[in-house]
Amino acid sequence: MKKKVLKRMFSVLLAGTMMATVLAGCGNDGGNTGSGDSQQSSQNEFSAQPSDDTSSAEGESQAEGQGQSDEWIADREIVLHAYVDDIYNALPDDQVNNPVFKEIKERTGIQLKVTFTPGESNSKTLAAQLAAGTIPDAIVCYLNNSARPEFPLLHKAAKDGLFADLSEYIPNSKVYSKYMEEGYLPNDSYKNIVFREDFDGAVYLLHLGVDAVDRSMIYDPQEAYIGGPYIQKSIIDALQIDPTSVRTSEDFYNLLVKIKEGGFKDDNGNDVIPLGPKYWGGSVDAMDWDFRSLMWGVSDNYNMDADGQIYHFAETEYVYDLINYVRKLLAEGLLHQEYFTMDETRADELYRNHSCAIMGDVHNYVDIVYESEDWIPLGPLNDIQGNNKMVTSGKGARGCLAISDEAENPEEIFRFFDWLSTYEGQLLGQYGIEGLSYNMVDGMPQLTEEALDHLNKGDEKWMWNEVGAAFGGSGVYLFEFITTDKNNIDYFGEARPGAAGGSTFQRSVDLATQYPREYKLVEGLAATSYLNSDDMAEIKAQLSLLNFDDVLVQAIFAKDDAEVKSIIESFRAQLKSSGNDQFKEKLMEIYNEDPKAINFYR
Amino acid sequence: MKSKAKIQKAPVGKRIIKFWPLYVMLIPCVVYYILICYVPIAGNVLAFKDYSFKKGIWGSDWVGLRYFRTFFSSYDCLRLIKNTLTVGLIKCILEFPFAIILALMLNEVRNMKFKKVSQTITYLPHFLSSVIIVTMIQRILAPNNGVLNQIIAAFGGKGDTFFLMESNYFYPILFVMDLWRNIGWDSIIYLAAIAGVDTALYEAAEMDGCGKLGRMWHITLPGIRGTIGLLFIMGVGGLLSSGFEQIYLLRTPGNMDLADTLDVYVVNVGLMGGQFGYASAIGLVQGIVGLVIVITANKICKKMTEVSLW
Repeated sequence: MKKKVLKRMFSVLLAGTMMATVLAGCGNDGGNTGSGDSQQSSQNEFSAQPSDDTSSAEGESQAEGQGQSDEWIADREIVLHAYVDDIYNALPDDQVNNPVFKEIKERTGIQLKVTFTPGESNSKTLAAQLAAGTIPDAIVCYLNNSARPEFPLLHKAAKDGLFADLSEYIPNSKVYSKYMEEGYLPNDSYKNIVFREDFDGAVYLLHLGVDAVDRSMIYDPQEAYIGGPYIQKSIIDALQIDPTSVRTSEDFYNLLVKIKEGGFKDDNGNDVIPLGPKYWGGSVDAMDWDFRSLMWGVSDNYNMDADGQIYHFAETEYVYDLINYVRKLLAEGLLHQEYFTMDETRADELYRNHSCAIMGDVHNYVDIVYESEDWIPLGPLNDIQGNNKMVTSGKGARGCLAISDEAENPEEIFRFFDWLSTYEGQLLGQYGIEGLSYNMVDGMPQLTEEALDHLNKGDEKWMWNEVGAAFGGSGVYLFEFITTDKNNIDYFGEARPGAAGGSTFQRSVDLATQYPREYKLVEGLAATSYLNSDDMAEIKAQLSLLNFDDVLVQAIFAKDDAEVKSIIESFRAQLKSSGNDQFKEKLMEIYNEDPKAINFYR
Repeated sequence: MKSKAKIQKAPVGKRIIKFWPLYVMLIPCVVYYILICYVPIAGNVLAFKDYSFKKGIWGSDWVGLRYFRTFFSSYDCLRLIKNTLTVGLIKCILEFPFAIILALMLNEVRNMKFKKVSQTITYLPHFLSSVIIVTMIQRILAPNNGVLNQIIAAFGGKGDTFFLMESNYFYPILFVMDLWRNIGWDSIIYLAAIAGVDTALYEAAEMDGCGKLGRMWHITLPGIRGTIGLLFIMGVGGLLSSGFEQIYLLRTPGNMDLADTLDVYVVNVGLMGGQFGYASAIGLVQGIVGLVIVITANKICKKMTEVSLW
């Protein structure tokens, strides 16, 4: 009898536990509007901030800081959800007691709490959370321009009313008011992101990382990113070729042949493959550098021919020139077969072992480049215009900030992010605390010896936890990303903290000095950014289902020329059935109205 | 026996009171199915709505059958359905007998230690994630330094075949990979069913001069016919859902003509493209077709073998 009772009790306990487990997964976050810890736990998010400390920190600063200065905003917490893995990867372990976060709290009253949801990709997580309507006070994500995959999601969210209208706060703001000045924002930022016509005067999306002064045509080795193919120095030296003399696709082909004939070996004694994938893994993107003169579709695969007609790259015969060239490289063993598909880990391994003579694409601020003397820039190769100048569309931007429509007092949140972009905010976010990580010398901040030492050693933990500043992106990346109106040279006297004192990146700067680049301005937006208007919604939905990059690679790996032709013809038919002709008509109308509206060049 | 019949005839309320611990234990299971399997069915309404982030599923505007029209008139529709059915046939029909064969083979093993080790080895891959399995496959089949190509080169071949970039290798790779992953796990249920076959039948057959193969064919297989039938009916329901992870990870531009299935398409369109309504519509089509196939297979099975789900 006793056994039976025990059995029953056990089964009830077991059932209760199972029930609790099931129900635990079905909790509601209570409206998603608050900025407290309840929301965080319900979303299974990551935050380095221990919640218990928040209230005490708030209490202290309320007593100390309220009304102290014109920097004061409000005694509250702001939860910022970042869809930027670089931010997540460089956060302090303790966001409450971190010196910079603490200083922000003392000056503004705001306890900033940054959260992140790990996922397969930032844009997928953004899509899922916007769809679920689960956003905290504010969100930040990558957004270089309106052609990025995140933009349609942000646009839809804004149109659906998920974000607060910031238009009434902008005119009186310290920094963001500059966005209203003519010519301050890049054209794409102004027309397609911040002040969109279809927002009817409202502002939902703030483009971040805008330079205060347009230096896009000025080459500054201190901050220049030298992207594109990099070759092993020992190989180019052995071949006695000047890397900058490789300009045309013929030059490039001849170089690859010479490398193959040279019989160079990698660290394991295997033959070196002349051309490999991007350092970050296989991708079609590297073709923009390596086969530049054959990439006709300069505006998101669209361009205008000599007769003034607009075509998709696939509709032209130029596409066959590219395909045949790459097929030739593959057939002759000059190109790594996984140039388009290799995963990042294996690509890294490939280059650490020096198994390819040329990295398809990398830049001077990647450790494999700046930590040794092994790799130097190649080219740059000529583009379809026959010169090797780098194309710039003028000022750029990098990220996007939006404030939730349901956030408590969105004006305070806006004022806080506005303050972060002021001189004071940027100084704190970039250099940290005066006396701890920098001192003012002749009105300009100068890193302390200790800070410079940690920076040069790449001691990220120190920069994250002992200071909490961005140090130009080497430390807490959040403060590099979340600000705008950037002008390090005028504000702080150097391109980034510590640049004047020599740094880890000395070789990066040296490479930029030795291999300078020239720029050419091509104004206008990428063609596909004009798909975002309401009249193009159906066509956009259809065209977005097509993947030209995949088709291109499929054609490159086809068995024979007949199969190449069949693949391209099939894609042309898909383009046609998706409304490509109507889209081209629209592009032509836009172009006729303003030839600088689209970034075509030939 | 008498008391069992008595219990069965008793009113539901009385039975619940008598066996209340069992019913309490059933509650989490019922709650799970209601919350995870039945409540989301209501979300299928999204297939007929223009989803608004702000208004949510119920507040969004109706668009009728727009997404269905778009899908069935799209260029890719037939190809996607064909690819999905092919992958479904490979996974549900072609792979189906292998687990039974393995169970029959394991049942004949007399060395218990060997049997247990073999069983463990065969079902362990089931617990590996698709990402790990596909990464292993990618490394094994890599064009230049992959193990398979190195073996081919050692035997005098060129050893530079890019298996994952050639569409004619896609189905064999998928078949072998999926079989390796699931065969051991799937065989467990058959082994359990075989254990329930009356051993007296084997002894009688042996006395009648029936060999091992004969016993398998005439006793074991008929003995587990019910289990085979049930699993087959449940399996065919998945004909139109190819599984997302494996296909997505194995997909390359070279094999995408075969690897683009409805599941991959739904994720690409829905999650990456933000077209949630359109993706839901395709998901709904998959679900309805799966249901129809299960009902049909159940009816056919019932008529032919007297085995059915209901």
